[in-house]
Amino acid sequence: MITCTGCSLLCDDIDVVIENHRIKEVRNACRRGAAKLKGCRNRLRPSIDQTPADIDTSIKRAALILKNARSPMLYGWSNSTCEAQSNGIKLAKKLNAIIDDTSSFCQGLLIEKVLKKKFRACSLDDVKNKADVLVYWGSDAQDSQPRHLSRFSYFPRGESRQRGYEEDRIAIAIDVRESNTAKICKGHFYRIPLKGDREFILSLTGALSGKVPKHDAKRILELADIMKKAEFGAIFVGIGLTYSIKDDVDILVALGDMLPNFHILPMVGHYNMRGFNEALFKETGFVNRVRFDSTAVHENKYAIVEALKQKSIDALLVTGSDPLSCLPGSMISYLASIPVICIDPCVTLTSKISKITIPSAVSGIESGGSAVRMDGKVIELSGIVENNYLADTEILSRIMEEL
Amino acid sequence: MGIDVGKFLKSPEFEIAITTYRDIFQVEALEYDRFGEEYRKLSAVIIMSREDMKKMGIKTGDRVKLINDHGSIVVEARESKREEPGGIAFMVNSPWSSALVSDDTGGKGIPEFKNITARISLTKNDISSLENLIFNSGEVEKNER
Repeated sequence: MITCTGCSLLCDDIDVVIENHRIKEVRNACRRGAAKLKGCRNRLRPSIDQTPADIDTSIKRAALILKNARSPMLYGWSNSTCEAQSNGIKLAKKLNAIIDDTSSFCQGLLIEKVLKKKFRACSLDDVKNKADVLVYWGSDAQDSQPRHLSRFSYFPRGESRQRGYEEDRIAIAIDVRESNTAKICKGHFYRIPLKGDREFILSLTGALSGKVPKHDAKRILELADIMKKAEFGAIFVGIGLTYSIKDDVDILVALGDMLPNFHILPMVGHYNMRGFNEALFKETGFVNRVRFDSTAVHENKYAIVEALKQKSIDALLVTGSDPLSCLPGSMISYLASIPVICIDPCVTLTSKISKITIPSAVSGIESGGSAVRMDGKVIELSGIVENNYLADTEILSRIMEEL
Repeated sequence: MGIDVGKFLKSPEFEIAITTYRDIFQVEALEYDRFGEEYRKLSAVIIMSREDMKKMGIKTGDRVKLINDHGSIVVEARESKREEPGGIAFMVNSPWSSALVSDDTGGKGIPEFKNITARISLTKNDISSLENLIFNSGEVEKNER
């Protein structure tokens, strides 16, 4: 059995068949996980200025670029092992660099609330064993964390839920779109308008305190009743809800406070985003957007999006992410104008514009380590495929040695 | 010889709200080969309600130009297989949808990836290539404005 790094569920019940140093067959994983485990078509090669180079020279040049930069940033980390993340934080301290990760424009806002204990959280094992009301809000788990419903929430039998979805559990979806998850929540899908989450929360909190909502009163009162009667409820917060209430996350905290039997769990996509958030939080008290100087300073200007928009960084090390595939298109030209060092197992959009590329082993398959599941549980990763690639954490150590 | 007046007429433009979502088949294609045809086919698409397509004179398989102050792309239009209320279209999260996302976050660092407004019109131009989106940041399409 190995652990899948397809998403932050880190499913640890995966069987694989290995042939010629590659995973040929995958059993038990979802479509997303199987694709990740089988690996990419185009492996990255070491290069300098898009010309093939040997790995030692690439690492030396990467160190030189970071050393000479006035304001370097180290970014990515959500597809890196905890060990690499820890090394990345050390490297940022050594360089007095900015460090940020993909949570900066993803679930960082909510993970911070969880780590500061502003939400009542629980483990996915608690959900499996106890939960009777499951609310997927702005979250299409079926497409993003595809085994969430089958391993932990709706379908499985649990200690106090021996009759599973047939009798013991209610699944509810609140979304702008009738997602694949919403289709499973038959009779309990609440369609809201774009950016309508805040108003829906206000209607729901009103209904929970006995007020009749102005719109869709019957259904919202019915939802409030289901949630009030829950013995163990969970709200799985997807990025749809997070983006919609990003300027007023406390409204969700207030909803959680009105529902003493409910737990709030941010749905994380990349396999170890939470690992980075926890490591940086432990070191600095912040989950992302930090600049190290004599002390750790947290400001929004250290967010990747703001740093690129303000053109305030002059070198970027990227690992465990492909920012070009997800950042607003207008940012690409500045990103392509500064020296980018890309550490990745595969050719990515970012590697195509990088000054230095350094191939790494695929973590969890070609190199071991650990990662933090979306609910905070630490899961071990095993390197099971023989290979000659350096692990991401080793590459970062080598860069540090060269400084 | 008659003159094809139609080719000089600009296709009507309509305002459209777009939100993004995840699709497991597209994520699978991304993991295997983000430069591949399958990833492009599953990403460079806008899904619309039947009523909106009818109102705008767009059919499944038509190429449409989406343009706003942040970028411009050409993608394929497809009718949603689900009952949709209309007034909103859907794109899978990808470099194509991100080309239309504003980098102005009010200093907060979180772009409006799921809340895009653009103008849509029929076009005969090719579907935007990934290379164009990366290396020209959509400049070729921008020049058509």
